Amino acid sequence: MNSNIERNNGFVQALAHLTLMLGLCLPFSACAYTGVTIVLSAQTQANQEFIDAFKAELANNKNNNLKVKVIVLQVLEKLVVAENSELVIALGVKALEASAKLKYTTPVLGVFTPMPSFNSLLVKTKRDLGNFSAIVLDQPFWRQFFLARNILPEAKKIGVLLGPTSSQFADAIKEEGEESGFSVMEENVFSEPDLIPKLKEALDTSDALMAVPDPMIYNRETAQPILLTSYRHQKPIFGYSQSYVRAGALAAVYSSSKQLAKQAAEIALETQQAPSLLPPPQAPKYFSILVNYQVARSLNITLKSDEEIYQKVLEADNAEAKEHEEFRH
Amino acid sequence: MLKIKLIILCFGATVAMLPNVVNADDAYPIALADNLSEEDYLGEVPRVLTVSRLSQSLADAPSAVTVIDRETIRASGIVDLPEIFRLVPGMYVATNAGFVYNTNHVVSYHGITSAYSGSMQVMINGRSVYSPLFGGVNWSELPIAIADIERIEITRGPNAASYGANSFFGTIKIITQSPAEHAGASVIATHGNGRNETFARYAGKLNDLSYRVTAGYREDDGLDKRNDFKRTRLLNAQADYQLNTNNSLELEFGLANGARGEGNINEDAILFLPRTKQIDNYYGLIRWRHNISDTSDFSLQAYHSYDRSDDETTSIDLRPGVRTAAFNAEFRRQRNLGRPVPVATAIANAAANAVSASLPSGFIRINNEVVQERTDIEAQHTFALGGNIRAVWGGSVRQDTMYAPHYLASKKTDKFDLQRLFGHVEWRPFEKLTLNTGAMLEHNDFTGTDVSPRASINFKPTPNHTFRLGISSALRTPNYLEEKFQDRLTLPLTQPNPLSATALIVQFRANKGNVDPERIISRELGYMGKIGDLQLDVRAFSDRIDDVIRFRPRTDFTSPANTVLLNGAVGVDINSGTNVGSAAVEGIEWQANWQLTDKTKLLLNHAYVQIRETQDGLKKNYVNSMPSNTVSALVTYKFDQNWDGSLAYYQVGKVTALGDGDPVDLARRTDVRLARQFNSGRFKGEVSAVVENLFNQHYEEFADYNTLKRRGRVNLRLDF
Repeated sequence: MNSNIERNNGFVQALAHLTLMLGLCLPFSACAYTGVTIVLSAQTQANQEFIDAFKAELANNKNNNLKVKVIVLQVLEKLVVAENSELVIALGVKALEASAKLKYTTPVLGVFTPMPSFNSLLVKTKRDLGNFSAIVLDQPFWRQFFLARNILPEAKKIGVLLGPTSSQFADAIKEEGEESGFSVMEENVFSEPDLIPKLKEALDTSDALMAVPDPMIYNRETAQPILLTSYRHQKPIFGYSQSYVRAGALAAVYSSSKQLAKQAAEIALETQQAPSLLPPPQAPKYFSILVNYQVARSLNITLKSDEEIYQKVLEADNAEAKEHEEFRH
Repeated sequence: MLKIKLIILCFGATVAMLPNVVNADDAYPIALADNLSEEDYLGEVPRVLTVSRLSQSLADAPSAVTVIDRETIRASGIVDLPEIFRLVPGMYVATNAGFVYNTNHVVSYHGITSAYSGSMQVMINGRSVYSPLFGGVNWSELPIAIADIERIEITRGPNAASYGANSFFGTIKIITQSPAEHAGASVIATHGNGRNETFARYAGKLNDLSYRVTAGYREDDGLDKRNDFKRTRLLNAQADYQLNTNNSLELEFGLANGARGEGNINEDAILFLPRTKQIDNYYGLIRWRHNISDTSDFSLQAYHSYDRSDDETTSIDLRPGVRTAAFNAEFRRQRNLGRPVPVATAIANAAANAVSASLPSGFIRINNEVVQERTDIEAQHTFALGGNIRAVWGGSVRQDTMYAPHYLASKKTDKFDLQRLFGHVEWRPFEKLTLNTGAMLEHNDFTGTDVSPRASINFKPTPNHTFRLGISSALRTPNYLEEKFQDRLTLPLTQPNPLSATALIVQFRANKGNVDPERIISRELGYMGKIGDLQLDVRAFSDRIDDVIRFRPRTDFTSPANTVLLNGAVGVDINSGTNVGSAAVEGIEWQANWQLTDKTKLLLNHAYVQIRETQDGLKKNYVNSMPSNTVSALVTYKFDQNWDGSLAYYQVGKVTALGDGDPVDLARRTDVRLARQFNSGRFKGEVSAVVENLFNQHYEEFADYNTLKRRGRVNLRLDF
């Protein structure tokens, strides 16, 4: 079921290079940092995996002597950090929220943060991007569409439910979907009672549903009705998390704690000498896919091995990343 | 608002000016515009589509399966649940069949149709509602509202390996909406010819508990010239409680009660006269679902149901009849002794008068109360091995109890125990091939231990085309009617009397018992295909039925001591359920589901079925118990976002149902429905009108006592 293959991603790599180049060209605006403080708000398994993997990544790279400190943020506790010599990596929205209150020149990198949450924090705190960035949890839409395209080569229409949080991505989703050959059938859900009727409309008009995170639409409570309804319509759902796939979605692109840690370590190493030049907020660079073969079988969808699907998605992803890179140049 | 902004600004400035080590302080709250957090990506979600919830894809299933969804039910415009089975190829549906014990729809697949057709297993959310008394289902007494039904899966062909005995010709699985699926309140009202009903339902959520309650009242006036009205109050409650990510509890409770008109003066003008009886049914069910892993599930369910039919009836005055019978018997005896007619007449008259004078009353009261209870516990384990094997196995114990003083000639409650072990494996050795094999081992009090195996091969040359070759066997356990009925009419006599007896007896059934189960071996060739927007399902079948249970007169019956048996005098056979012969059921049936345009959908069914007697012993009407051809069609058309309409057509060839059925001719029926959905802010819902039998064909169904005419209805649904 689980394909845990890690690969490099050209797009993000290109971005990193770009950032590094920019960093080298600019005068040193701040001192190199000597340590990394990882701030977390709860000791979850994901956080622990991140910390372990992050430390391991740094240990693998002999050209650094970055010290890693971990702070578990208690409620109402005041966050204390050596602000001028540390890179702060905040795990989760709460930790990032607290870290955002640090001195403006302290580089803060958010991890395990959804893009909309990062964006609203950025706006609210008025921090500048050089010192405030993130590896967001959101996978690029194109990557998700590549996955859908690979699993359902003949599908034409893909349904998307958009709520108050996700509606901002409507245009991007439409555009990326079309690039993969999908007409995106968008349904806007404005209130909770609307959810199931809108879902049914989306399922009636599409070959599959792509879940875009929105707390009003996809949450613990709605998982059962959404998954049951889509199953009754015999339409697959592409999720955005491992647990949604385990709960009954057909497949998802996701990044593990280890993969995010690897990306974070790369950023830490690359920006060590230029602390105020964090790369812009970026999507996860390394990713995995998870496929629910039981669901596929029940929906009479013939699947290749997850390894094969992953390779195909990765190829398309690399090509896409290259395009984005060229665009940036 | 402005003030807050100001504070944030000031604070921001302060923070910026602080040196080196700083206190990030919660005093300035950053209220995020949305509550999206890492939990939405990383948090656990309850397992919903676990292996046991995921049914086999139709292309992998070992039998032909027809799925009727909510939308089809809505489009069909039906008001009685069993009517929907007219849209299943090979099914025969007739309204208001029979007049003894109940007057209900009969639903049968491939014939052997009687008023109580008992050759199919019927389950609602995993609870068997098949009655062991006459067999079959008392459809109008099920505590279920059509509005709560999500889908119905009909397995065409024996399915005993999954659902045990009585899944003889097929299985009907009714699945209601999950309480979490449709939150809110609705009121539904129907008014029409001979029909009024109102339902209210509410579905809500309290943290991890989702629930739904539906209550309703149904008035069904039945058909012309029949005492078959039904008044039903029903209540159904269902709750899902998500204990945690991997465990959930499901609870159900339902009740139905009310008055029923019963009796048919044309068919039985003596004993079961037109009268009103009461029914009182309820059930409760609890199910624990445990998700062991991504590929393994366990469930444990228990349910109890109670069905009571409170029926007491008084015969007409039987004195004249008894007098005639006594006269005839004595007259014949005297003539045999060589007495001349006038003498024989005089003696017979005197004897008849004496016997008739010995009857304290000619009006016999019959206590026909029936109480059936069922308790069933079942455990099931579903798992997948690698990507290519899926298996389910489990076991169950059941006890049915039966209190039927008239039918069983005993005031004792009879018990029927049943134990089952079942297993089923689906194996996909190659992408294009699926093998299914399974068996059920069953032990019951009537017929002992038996096993019902099944095997099938599904070959998928392309994902859109599947060929299926299958063989399966099943058993039909005799019901109480065939195994245990001892019903008789007892006329007590005053003492002393010229017969020196305590009572006169007319014995109807005197089962010897020990009837073997009917056995079916079904071979089938199926095709399922998707050609553009057309989905096709074709099934050719050849079934062989052995040990067919029929009633045969017995001559070795001796009435209880000190009683006189009147059967000979009144010309009534004493019957016993007996295994008599073999039959073959052969034919072909198909179903087409065609999305003609974006707005038009067509469902078309046809079945050709022939029953042949393969061994002497079956009466002629057995082979006529299924129409050779049945056709049904449903066209739905969406005019625009609000308006939609549908047209249904049903054609049933001539048929002679067994038991209380009569020969009836080919019947054609056309139904139309027009519906408008509305959403005016506060009120959402639908108004619809249905005309059944649009061309007012006065056709007979099941028997000549049922004449169907045009009927219309309007229906309103309001959602809040």
